[in-house]
Amino acid sequence: MKKFLEILVLESKRLVRTGTAGMLASAAVAWMFAMPYLVRSDGTASGATEMYMKYSLGGVFALVTVALAASAAGSISAERDEKRLQLTLARPVRFFVVALGRMAAISLCGAAVLALATAILVAKIDSRPCSRVYSPKMESPREEALRLYDSVMQDPGIDAEIKKAPKDAILRVLEQKAWDNYQTIPKGRDAAWKMGDVDAKGRLMSVRLRFTNNFDTREKVVGVFRYGGFSGSISNVTQAVVAVPLDSQEVLPEGDPSVLTFSNRGENTLMLRPRRDIKLLVEADSFAMNAVRAWIVLSSMLALVVAFAVFLGSALGKAVAIFTVMSFLAVTEMGPSVVEQYPDALETDTRDRISLMVTRAVGKVTRPVGSFTPLESLAANDMVEFGEVARAVGEDMVVLPLLLAFLSGLALSFKKV
Amino acid sequence: MEQSEGVIALKGVSKVFRDFWLRPTVKAVEGLDLSVAKGEVFALLGPNGSGKSTTIKMILGLMAPSGGEVRLFGRKPDSAVARSRLGYLPELSYLHPYLTARETLMYYAGLCNLDRRTAKERTAQLLAMVGLESVAGRPVGGFSKGMARRIALACSLIGKPELLILDEPTSGLDPVSTSEVKSLVKTLSAGGMTILMTSHLLGDAQDVCDRYAILNFGRKVAEGDLKTLGTSLQDVFLSKVGVGRGFDVAGFLK
Ligand SMILES: Nc1ncnc2c1ncn2[C@@H]1O[C@H](COP(=O)(O)OP(=O)(O)OP(=O)(O)O)[C@@H](O)[C@H]1O
Ligand SMILES: [Mg+2]
Repeated sequence: MKKFLEILVLESKRLVRTGTAGMLASAAVAWMFAMPYLVRSDGTASGATEMYMKYSLGGVFALVTVALAASAAGSISAERDEKRLQLTLARPVRFFVVALGRMAAISLCGAAVLALATAILVAKIDSRPCSRVYSPKMESPREEALRLYDSVMQDPGIDAEIKKAPKDAILRVLEQKAWDNYQTIPKGRDAAWKMGDVDAKGRLMSVRLRFTNNFDTREKVVGVFRYGGFSGSISNVTQAVVAVPLDSQEVLPEGDPSVLTFSNRGENTLMLRPRRDIKLLVEADSFAMNAVRAWIVLSSMLALVVAFAVFLGSALGKAVAIFTVMSFLAVTEMGPSVVEQYPDALETDTRDRISLMVTRAVGKVTRPVGSFTPLESLAANDMVEFGEVARAVGEDMVVLPLLLAFLSGLALSFKKV
Repeated sequence: MEQSEGVIALKGVSKVFRDFWLRPTVKAVEGLDLSVAKGEVFALLGPNGSGKSTTIKMILGLMAPSGGEVRLFGRKPDSAVARSRLGYLPELSYLHPYLTARETLMYYAGLCNLDRRTAKERTAQLLAMVGLESVAGRPVGGFSKGMARRIALACSLIGKPELLILDEPTSGLDPVSTSEVKSLVKTLSAGGMTILMTSHLLGDAQDVCDRYAILNFGRKVAEGDLKTLGTSLQDVFLSKVGVGRGFDVAGFLK
């Protein structure tokens, strides 16, 4: 523990005295204040706020991640290249502690810069409380895909060429389709969605509805949402996303209280994708609290990137380590969109298939960093769930970095000078 | 067991450096047997590139030998116990440029398990010993070669090691400091410390060391007792290593 702190302090001094920490902090502050002038929003006040919430902290996160990943990859490798490392390794200190101390110092530096940016964000934005978001309880898209797989394979109407594709590829397409399944609600009819366990005692509730159809039909939507003893009506919609507040009803509804219903009272049929377009919102705590949670998740993601970079630095030379970690970051950033944009039709070409396979494999490994971004939630005023915070801290900040520190120790015991 | 094996014991140790494709490029050390007993001051000598520093790195466990066996205090060289009992001065000083002189010493003190008070005490003592108290608060990145050497020497002593390994301790030092290092080695040895050092100053080595070994092209070409050596070490060295062809300056200038 003592030696861990020694290494941590040493690395912190490096970050501070070589100016890395100071430069990052100033760049972060500058971006937080300059961003609204540099990035154009749609012109409305709420649009500007949402843009600011998403890209101010997001920009700082990207900057900190790239800069500190490079710094972390160079941390141990440069010491070795400059032969300084042998003096530490000739002392009675466990090699994984050398790696762990450096990971901790760099992650703390990043967390501090992110905290600064988050504090500025909270100070600048006067936002309403965030909401917990509940989705209708349905079969998961994966389950639906698995259920449909056999019938698709037996369907004579489907091209034999398609059926020759690997099962994985077909399942992926079906899963994608399941997300986009439309539900139609004809005029005068009701639709019902089971909501599961919603914790809403005495809190304000609303329903968020997203429209994928165009403005004309959107405007003609008229109807009433009901949930438990609450209801709210909707008409004359102009935005693509609306939140319908639910107020308490005089007449208690009959039927299951954990079901959200919509009665279509308009002249048109309403179409929506229940998995994507309909959410029940329950007011949770303040924006500041949500920002703190987002900060914890972002710091954890950063800690994982840093740990990975330190590991690369302990196994490789400085230049190679930095190049490798930057490539990984690039693939992590672009991977999901590549996989989405080039679905399975392209997999007939061997070269494409191999590169997609690699991208998917890397994507699987880097998923914790690549997929979930708490910034989206923060910008939408959705609560960053406690479960997500706990997972991020547990996996990204503790378990995986510890594992990577052990691997670094192993690498160091093979490559000391 | 430790006594009989000595503090350092090398049996048939060799080191081959390989390139990226694992093709052998240099045989830096070949079939080296060496043992250093407790309390001894041992001089590892040889011309440039003869494998002295490589041998030291294998003793420290910083490099794995390609063949043979290295024992340090009767253990594997990179065991934490062995590492906790030695001090090391590398051939160049390799300091963290952003740390001050005092912080550098405190850092290595921490890695040696010293508590804060002892660490502070020893840091102050060692800074006084190497005459750098007045610059203790300056980053070592700005130090001259000799100043850096003194700090590195102080670092090697911070844990009060049983075994001190000095790779060319006097390189870059002025004549006064050189003779100070000489008397330092004598004093430490009188206190019971085992010392392994390399040096190109054969006269000084003869004055302070008990035994010597001479390497040439990675092989041991001579070994012996300095206390009973009749002639000067210089003569032994030249007869074993041979007089070089010298620099053909005249040919270059023609
Ligand atoms: N990391 C390395 N990779 C390849 N060759 C090396 C490496 N380190 C040392 N060598 C080679 O091994 C041989 C011995 O080097 P070493 O540094 O041990 O010599 P030395 O006796 O300490 O010389 P000097 O008196 O100049 O310090 C030299 O030929 C050197 O080029
Ligand atoms: Mg040398």
